[in-house]
Amino acid sequence: MTDVYVIGIGMTQFGKHPDRTAASLGAEAVRKAIHDAGIDPRVIQTGYAGHVFQPMVTGQQVLAQVGLAGIPLANVENACSSGATAIRGSYLDILAGVADVSLAFGTEHLTGAFKGAFTPGEDDPEAAVGATMPAVYAMRARRYMEEFGLTREQLARISVKNKRNAALNPLAHFKKDITIDDVLAARPIAEPFGLLDCSPVSDGAAAVVLASGDWVKRHGDPARAVRLAASALRTGEVETAPGSMTFEVLTHKTARDAYEAAGVGPEDVDFAEVHDCFTIAEILRIEGLGLFEQGTYPHAVERGEADIGGRFPVNPSGGLLGKGHPLAATGVAQVVELTKQLRGEAEDRQIEGARVGIAHCRGGKAAGVEGAACTVQILVR
Amino acid sequence: MTTTKTPVSFRPRELVVAEDGTGHLVGSRCPTCGAHYFPTREVCAGCLTEDLETVPLPRRGTLYTYTVVHQSTPAFETPYVLGYVDLEAPVRVMGQIDVDPEEVAIGMALELKIVPWGTDDEGRTVWGYRFGGVS
Repeated sequence: MTDVYVIGIGMTQFGKHPDRTAASLGAEAVRKAIHDAGIDPRVIQTGYAGHVFQPMVTGQQVLAQVGLAGIPLANVENACSSGATAIRGSYLDILAGVADVSLAFGTEHLTGAFKGAFTPGEDDPEAAVGATMPAVYAMRARRYMEEFGLTREQLARISVKNKRNAALNPLAHFKKDITIDDVLAARPIAEPFGLLDCSPVSDGAAAVVLASGDWVKRHGDPARAVRLAASALRTGEVETAPGSMTFEVLTHKTARDAYEAAGVGPEDVDFAEVHDCFTIAEILRIEGLGLFEQGTYPHAVERGEADIGGRFPVNPSGGLLGKGHPLAATGVAQVVELTKQLRGEAEDRQIEGARVGIAHCRGGKAAGVEGAACTVQILVR
Repeated sequence: MTTTKTPVSFRPRELVVAEDGTGHLVGSRCPTCGAHYFPTREVCAGCLTEDLETVPLPRRGTLYTYTVVHQSTPAFETPYVLGYVDLEAPVRVMGQIDVDPEEVAIGMALELKIVPWGTDDEGRTVWGYRFGGVS
């Protein structure tokens, strides 16, 4: 079986882009990825486009702007995992020998499509009684507090850490350091969360070009290619009895698939980009991935272990809380960050000696299901 | 077509409201393994049995977790308490909690209450549900 490599990465500024569209943001990210790869775009054989709240065939609109119209492309929707699922499409095409070079991108013009709190799908029975995504995660936070003694300040520290990292990332939505007091004083959204416990509504796009090991040997730059060792996807299972909301079985099982495919274990991973849509989410993801024992990660954050320069840096890009969360762009932007870190191109955010990185996305909610779609990708230098 | 006497449920597939104003949530029960589901399912996720029974769910349960929602969609006035209640089947159901935010606590006993939820196009009261303290 061939290896799969990331050979090109591109990302727009994340933030508010009132004068842009998802297609124009997507085209910018794709052009950057093609230039970064140093390839003639015509070597790209297949494509996958992630987007959630955008017009149909947004992916083809992007292709038309970058000189790639004609190649097979599928638009992918998997809520917040859409972009990561698009990458998996390209990964599988290369593993299957369908393509030597494939393009995956995610793009979202969210400020044009949405304001305020996200809700599950309109017909969902939980949305009908007042569920919002912040409320669902706030309930998980409340339960975690009850079971593990998590404090409000420990939660706030996650937002402080990620916004500090974002301030070092020129493409991040937020560029300002904040304090624990800022988090505690913010407008309440769903208790215990205030506004700064929640990822923002952002516009943006990110793209990656993947290639087979053979292609990299013949045409690529092995010094900059980073191996995509696993791209796992699972969907949440229907619960046959009320389950725990403080341990993510879905994340755990997806991670197990990814570790097995990559031939590494959690002990081999040097840093992580995880789906911190809310402060509690970073805790649940990291513990679900098996990187810290359940109940211990909040203390590790308090000790600075998850900082850039700490024992196990988490969300050096700023994460969703700091970098922003243009839904479908998020999963691709995580792989962009992992690639930068593993190439040694992360500038002020560089994690010294990083060799193995993991990215986690989780999206969507349906009543009676633990979560909708979860992806875990592992990159190895 | 519903008769004028039958109260209107906000979601008839999930909540049945009787003429006397009492009601129950509707779930599925697997006749093979006994698992309960809310909302209803066509196939048991545990043992793949296909002919699940549609059953009324127990009215009582305990609060698994909760939040006080301060920002929501225009359909809801804030603030409100929202929680997950583990009904005795056992099955977990989300609902608004009719308990003062200062008094609400994980583990408290709760029961289903049928409450006015709005009005339909014909001006009739539409009924929904919340969970309140056990009387």
